[in-house]
Amino acid sequence: MKKQSAKRQGCKALFAYEMTVPAMAVILVMTVYPVIFTVLYSFTDYNYLKGTYSWIGLKNYKDLFSNAFFRQSVWNTILFTLIAVAVEIVLGLLLALYVNSLKKGKKIFRTLVLLPYLLPAVTVALIWRMMLSPNYGIVTHIIEDLGIPSYNWFYDMKTAFGTILVIDIWQNTPFAFLLIYACLQGVSESQKEAAAIDGAGYVQTFRYVVFPNISGGVALCAMLRTIDTFRLFEKVNILTGGGPAGSTSTITQFMYTYGIKTLKFGFASASSLVMTILVLVLSAGYVKKAISANE
Amino acid sequence: MTLKKLITSVLCMTLATTVVPSAVNVYAAGKKEGEPTKMTLILRGGSYADVLKAALPQFEEENNCEIETLDMSFDDLHTGITLDAANKEGTYDLCMVDGSWMAEFTENNVLANLSEMGYTFDEDIIPNTTTICKKDEDIYLAPYFGNVTVLLYNKANVEEAGYKPEDIKTLEDLMNVAKAEKEAGKNGFAYRGDTPDNIVSDFLPVLLANGGWVVDENNQPTINTPEFKQAVEYYTELIGTGMAMSKDDVSASIDNGSSALAIGWPGWYVPSADSAANYMVSPTAVKEGAETYNTSEYGTWCLGIPANSPNPDLAMKLLQYIMSPEVQLESVKNGGVPCRYSVLKNEEILKDYPHLSTVCDALDQGVYRPAIAEWTEFTNILGAEMGNIIAGTKTVDQGLKDAQDQLENLMA
Repeated sequence: MKKQSAKRQGCKALFAYEMTVPAMAVILVMTVYPVIFTVLYSFTDYNYLKGTYSWIGLKNYKDLFSNAFFRQSVWNTILFTLIAVAVEIVLGLLLALYVNSLKKGKKIFRTLVLLPYLLPAVTVALIWRMMLSPNYGIVTHIIEDLGIPSYNWFYDMKTAFGTILVIDIWQNTPFAFLLIYACLQGVSESQKEAAAIDGAGYVQTFRYVVFPNISGGVALCAMLRTIDTFRLFEKVNILTGGGPAGSTSTITQFMYTYGIKTLKFGFASASSLVMTILVLVLSAGYVKKAISANE
Repeated sequence: MTLKKLITSVLCMTLATTVVPSAVNVYAAGKKEGEPTKMTLILRGGSYADVLKAALPQFEEENNCEIETLDMSFDDLHTGITLDAANKEGTYDLCMVDGSWMAEFTENNVLANLSEMGYTFDEDIIPNTTTICKKDEDIYLAPYFGNVTVLLYNKANVEEAGYKPEDIKTLEDLMNVAKAEKEAGKNGFAYRGDTPDNIVSDFLPVLLANGGWVVDENNQPTINTPEFKQAVEYYTELIGTGMAMSKDDVSASIDNGSSALAIGWPGWYVPSADSAANYMVSPTAVKEGAETYNTSEYGTWCLGIPANSPNPDLAMKLLQYIMSPEVQLESVKNGGVPCRYSVLKNEEILKDYPHLSTVCDALDQGVYRPAIAEWTEFTNILGAEMGNIIAGTKTVDQGLKDAQDQLENLMA
């Protein structure tokens, strides 16, 4: 009897392995293999077009950290990510609470709020470039008609970073809204009713009943947005090319300009690894929070 | 358990039946008799690609082929060609190439030797435009679209500043018009302030008029020089009369009169006799009586055949067809700017497209960007430091010194 049970267990384990083999193969080919090669290339002077490479140790990393444009890109990326994620989460939460409280028109409102998120980043960048054009931009015309001086939004040091930030927030707040709104659906009505019977007001109910229930979702949302915002590229590349004077340059933009365009893949690999480590550091807190919330 | 084994077997068989036939199909894919040959062209998007595409249907019909075209941005075109160059058999049959990539491409065997394939230049092609197309005596590219920097101007604005277009001969005149228009509440000089490459391209005509250049005869950087400094100081004052814009905004603002002057390219704007804007050769001297220089910077779009082209013979036939005088003459109607005297000096053509006379002059005396393999990286560094100077985050002296140091390292 025992022998039969052990055999059954063994078969079960084997079956589980067999079932995971295709997924493992895909992960090995699509993720592990490129990561290993990216790490190896980062210690070489690999140039894609020449096809040659030699081991140069930490030179790429030294060049990277001594490069003023890279340091500026890292700072811009971190600052952009912190502001964008914070604003998107707050706006997303407010919108979700508002839509959740609506008695009528929830579906229409939900659809309207989601629209910017459905557009590809390239389309968003081009739409905003047209709207803010100093010649034919509708926003520029409205501002001028109101007698307010118009700025050169994308090419002025004072406004370029902020303008891209606003565009990114405009596009990605719906994502935060959607995730938090879904979490809100899981908050038990009976808990809210109990809090109301105990005399809790709206703010107290939110603080002691609603937020603890959705905090795991908010942390997950913050983590996903942090990872995504850290990879910001299309909007910057289309709207400012990283300028003026590198004020909007991000790590991915730097990587593209100094690594991909010049085909110096060794250098690009080093910068991508630095970016990955930074993302992991920044999102570690959220991961911890999400795990503890699930437990 | 039997059911699980059955599921496993079915999954394995499904995987095998989908992967194996696909792989077999890939290797077995060949052209059946009578089936049209498929060709792929990678081109610079916009008017440059549109002009070429307009000529393709006739070739497709005559040669039983289907041509797919990919329209790319400047950077994506460069990356697309280079990434494909590493493959044994490439994807592209014909590619559009900027002259500044020539050294990098020939050094790394990206392009086929057109001379060996039987291609020659006829005497009708403007000789100066073919210089960048050759390495030693071998031809690797054919000059297709005569792109060369010109001075874009709004006719009414120039008149308002008290000038006739033909009187803007020096940088001093240019500054006078720009300042007058700034005082009139308009942008004196509009410029492209986005990517490092665009910043450098916009500035080079001013640098040339000051007698400066980016490298010496040994291809060593000459950024921290009195001529360069003088040019940068002039340029920062000039752009202070206007604002930075995207390419589309530059031509739109000149056309609608909100800007007076800009450095542009013929591919951006096709003026007619009654259009609001026109273009001319950019000033060739600092001031009246000063030494004159060639200040037209070539950005000619050339055609080449990748060394790993899947259909090299048909690609050569297509190249010869596109470069033929008849097809090039016809291309003018679609906004084309051929590098051929027979087109640019054709009286009939000039009646409808008088601006081509200016383009012909500019093409005759143009200056190529340095033929160095490091040019992409060179412009990244120089453009970034120029951007710092323009934005005021570095002084002219500091910016030029930093650029010189970095470029010396690059070219060492």
